[in-house]
Amino acid sequence: MATSSDERPPLPPQPGRRGLWLGILAYRWAAFVWMVILAIGASEEFRRPAVAWLILGATGLWTLWLSVTPGWDRPLTRWLDLGVCIGLLLVSGIVMREGYTVGGHPFFATAYPVCAALTWGAARGVGPGLAAGFALSVALALSRVINGVSLADATGAQIEGLGNGVVYYIAAGGAMGLIARTLGRASEELRRAQEEVLRERERVARLSEHATMGRKIHDSVLQALAWVNKRGRELGAEASVPGPEVLRLADMAAEQERALRALIQREPEEPPKERASLRDALDADARAVGEVPVTVTALGPIWLPEHEIDELTAAVRQALENVVQHAAATHAVVFAEEGEQGLIVSVRDDGVGFVYEEDVLRSRGKFGLLESMKGRIEDLGGRMIVRSAPGSGTEVEFLIPEPGLGPDRAGDGGRP
Amino acid sequence: MSDEGPDGMTGDEPPPAEPIRVMVVDDHPVWRDGIRNDLESSGVATVVAEASDGGEAIERARGSMPEVILMDLQLPTVPGVEAIRAIVEESPHVKVVVLSASGEEPDVLEAVKVGATGYLLKGSTAGEIVDAVRRVRDGEPVFTPSLAGMVLSEFRRVAAPDPGVPGLTPRENEVLKLVAKGYTYREIAEKLFISVKTVQNHVQNILTKLQLRKRYELMRYAIQRGLDQAPE
Repeated sequence: MATSSDERPPLPPQPGRRGLWLGILAYRWAAFVWMVILAIGASEEFRRPAVAWLILGATGLWTLWLSVTPGWDRPLTRWLDLGVCIGLLLVSGIVMREGYTVGGHPFFATAYPVCAALTWGAARGVGPGLAAGFALSVALALSRVINGVSLADATGAQIEGLGNGVVYYIAAGGAMGLIARTLGRASEELRRAQEEVLRERERVARLSEHATMGRKIHDSVLQALAWVNKRGRELGAEASVPGPEVLRLADMAAEQERALRALIQREPEEPPKERASLRDALDADARAVGEVPVTVTALGPIWLPEHEIDELTAAVRQALENVVQHAAATHAVVFAEEGEQGLIVSVRDDGVGFVYEEDVLRSRGKFGLLESMKGRIEDLGGRMIVRSAPGSGTEVEFLIPEPGLGPDRAGDGGRP
Repeated sequence: MSDEGPDGMTGDEPPPAEPIRVMVVDDHPVWRDGIRNDLESSGVATVVAEASDGGEAIERARGSMPEVILMDLQLPTVPGVEAIRAIVEESPHVKVVVLSASGEEPDVLEAVKVGATGYLLKGSTAGEIVDAVRRVRDGEPVFTPSLAGMVLSEFRRVAAPDPGVPGLTPRENEVLKLVAKGYTYREIAEKLFISVKTVQNHVQNILTKLQLRKRYELMRYAIQRGLDQAPE
């Protein structure tokens, strides 16, 4: 056959194809029973009755095996089936009396061989169906030659008979291929539509979560505004304004501003499977720091497994804690980028800075937090770099050469 | 965060002889008053005009000849981005600083693409706003870390679709990344062993490339739509 089974992927397994297979199987049994009936009725016309009954038995066993095997859609089964059907045609030329394959005598193989063309069409589409039909046609012609019929001297009726057989086999394979293709496309469309519905449902759920969050934030913003309005007027009427209370009002406004900004800045995005956005997680961490303003500049959403996000954000939170407690900074920036060198996350402040020497810090008992950050990053196969000097701020950089490998990575892969 | 300019104000520069002429565009009178107060009490700048919507801004920019425009993006009638495009087209020497409350990425990036040379969040302190006005007047783009991040993302997102579209040089990429990490121009200069002026030039070139890309995009769009052919 021209088309090998590896040239293109088989049609996806689907209930429709199984239905086709069962239909063909029913046809096989009908054809086999007809073969047996004809063989009983016309046994005196056989040259070699023993061979005929042997072959009939083998065909019955083959049909039985096809009825029970779970591997009906395997290529090997199809090739064997084609072999059996071609064999049946050729054997017909041997077992039937010389010249009996033409002239209206009952044909030993009956219509059983067409099953191979039907099977190839159902499993692999139009082309292979046609090719199997063609192979059977060649075998049909050969069976007549074997039977002693000269194709060169064939009468018009004999050629017509052969032509009918050829058309029958090829058309059956092609038509079954067409049916299978149509079924395949329909079920593919159905599957896509179902997936689309599922995705849409997830998106709606996400959006509604976003909207719920929005309502909560709007409510708290309104409350804060109402309070600032009321308290502001009361304070304005007083002779001397208590500074701490004004600052409290400002803090309250600042907190609501951050929450609202986080909500409106970005539409929720479509995360890949089992991944979350590092940028969103860093945004949340930055918002939680009240003492020092923190900007997050992440290039894109940066999708990572949640385990890595947890470790990274824990390390970033520790770095920000350091900034708040020791740096005396006016601002901090969390930068994140996934590039050719891997993932870079840095926390930089414009504070007092310090001399970064691990041994000195450790001996003074000041390395605890840094050590913990370092451990987290090294567990992710990365390394931590601290750039700092007195008077020029601090940058803590986490470098993960191969992000996204999940929790099973080698523990110290990237250690310098 | 209040997203200050990368160079925190040092406060030791002498105020210029002539106050910088500034126009403030915002639909909230409270904000306009507050900014006017911040600018004028510093002695560095004077507010020569105010506008409460985009159309008014385009009109008043013509009459009052400001050097710097502080501009909100969410404006009635003509949106802020459109107003910036019109103003910069008409008077390219005017420097526009976006002063946005929300910091919504697409808007801010679009404003910079059409000609804004600075971006501040409304939470910025008086000192930061005054400093930004002075710096843009002197021809220095006010790149906050978050704006640098947005621009870097933009250059990554659309990686030179055509040889005619300028991409960033490795040096510009390095400078922009350091700005996004929160380093000031001065710190970047020290780190890379170059002058502060060179850092400023790099940043200015990055901005110019961004605006060129925008123009190229528009041109390609026009060609695709056949709008480049003059009507018969």
